[in-house]
Amino acid sequence: MTVEEREQRWAEAMRAERRGEAVAYERMLKEVATALRRSLAPRLVRVGFGAHETEDLVQEILIGLHGKRHTWDPARPFLPWLHTITRYKLIDFMRHRRRDTRRRVDLPLDDWLEMVDPPADEAIRSTWEMDRHLAVLPVSQRKLVRAIAVEGASVRSVAQELATSEGVVRVTLHRAISRLLEAADATPTIKPCSRSKHDEHR
Amino acid sequence: MTSTDDLIHSLASTAGTRQRGASLQAAIAVTGAASLACALLLVFSVFGIRQDFADMAVRMPFAFKVAYSGALVAGASVVALYAATPGASATALYALSPAVLLLACGVIFDPTGFPIMGRTDTAVAICVGRILFLSLPAMMLTFVFMRRSAPTQPLFAGAVVGMLSGSVGALAYALACRNDGTAFVAIWYAAACAIMAAVGAIVGHRVLRW
Repeated sequence: MTVEEREQRWAEAMRAERRGEAVAYERMLKEVATALRRSLAPRLVRVGFGAHETEDLVQEILIGLHGKRHTWDPARPFLPWLHTITRYKLIDFMRHRRRDTRRRVDLPLDDWLEMVDPPADEAIRSTWEMDRHLAVLPVSQRKLVRAIAVEGASVRSVAQELATSEGVVRVTLHRAISRLLEAADATPTIKPCSRSKHDEHR
Repeated sequence: MTSTDDLIHSLASTAGTRQRGASLQAAIAVTGAASLACALLLVFSVFGIRQDFADMAVRMPFAFKVAYSGALVAGASVVALYAATPGASATALYALSPAVLLLACGVIFDPTGFPIMGRTDTAVAICVGRILFLSLPAMMLTFVFMRRSAPTQPLFAGAVVGMLSGSVGALAYALACRNDGTAFVAIWYAAACAIMAAVGAIVGHRVLRW
């Protein structure tokens, strides 16, 4: 269908609508919807919208056409009138969607503060800090300290789990603890104290 | 697909329910007449016409005021019709040229020799303020017209609405205005229209979406 034929066909249908001929009007709206869908879909796909959005926009335009149909002067061509409405609705649609997107993916200041602030809850804070301290240990020692000192497992069960002897576990634990104390820059009085305790236990 | 088809069906079922004959031209004529009637009513009831009205009405300055603001009303109406109709031709903007021409003539060839700032210090503020006041009902009526039509540039349509209502206010105020200098009239009536246009643009940007 050429542009002239389409112009004539749709303008005639618009005149028919004013006479109350719903069938001709409905057929025209369907043709308009098909044409709009075909021309708008690639345009919207290019900016990241899918078939769903295209359908929304097509409906918006049809509603606009219907609501403002009295502003079309039958003495004047129909297609330029429809083009202006389509363009207006397309721009409006894009603007709205962009605003929606911004709101959906927005990072409000409160959320940002939550992200950079350490957890306020006391329990969470202590494990968070503990993890920070344990980070100075090698992975094997860290696992062991967490199992015994944090989760409260017995030396025996840890040794079984790691398939080693209890002695190795004990030695590793003590090494880890002294390392932690060093890292924490503990005062010299504490260090010998723990050492001596360690010796007593032996 | 099906939801669009449903929508089309429900839209088509109301075919032919809009009254014919209520064209935009007729609508803006009615709007303009009603706006002018409101503004005139306000002039008579609030300001009163000039005491020497009968004497003044046959002289050139009054004719200039009426011709100038009349040209503004006519031009702004045509442009408003353009702003209200999707796909209308932009040549409608030339309808403002008679008003612009009169403005230029009034400023350049002022035969009265009255000062540009008016006869008293407060003349400008009073004239502009009164025109703004007189154009308020016109603005409301014109916005109703514009909302019922299909403006696709809300900012521009709002500015035109403001300008049209400002010129209606100016036309009505010509009956009461005590300043006869054509340069005064040309500049300050236009300034009042410009202020109304700015207000209209701000309002239109918010109100005229559809």
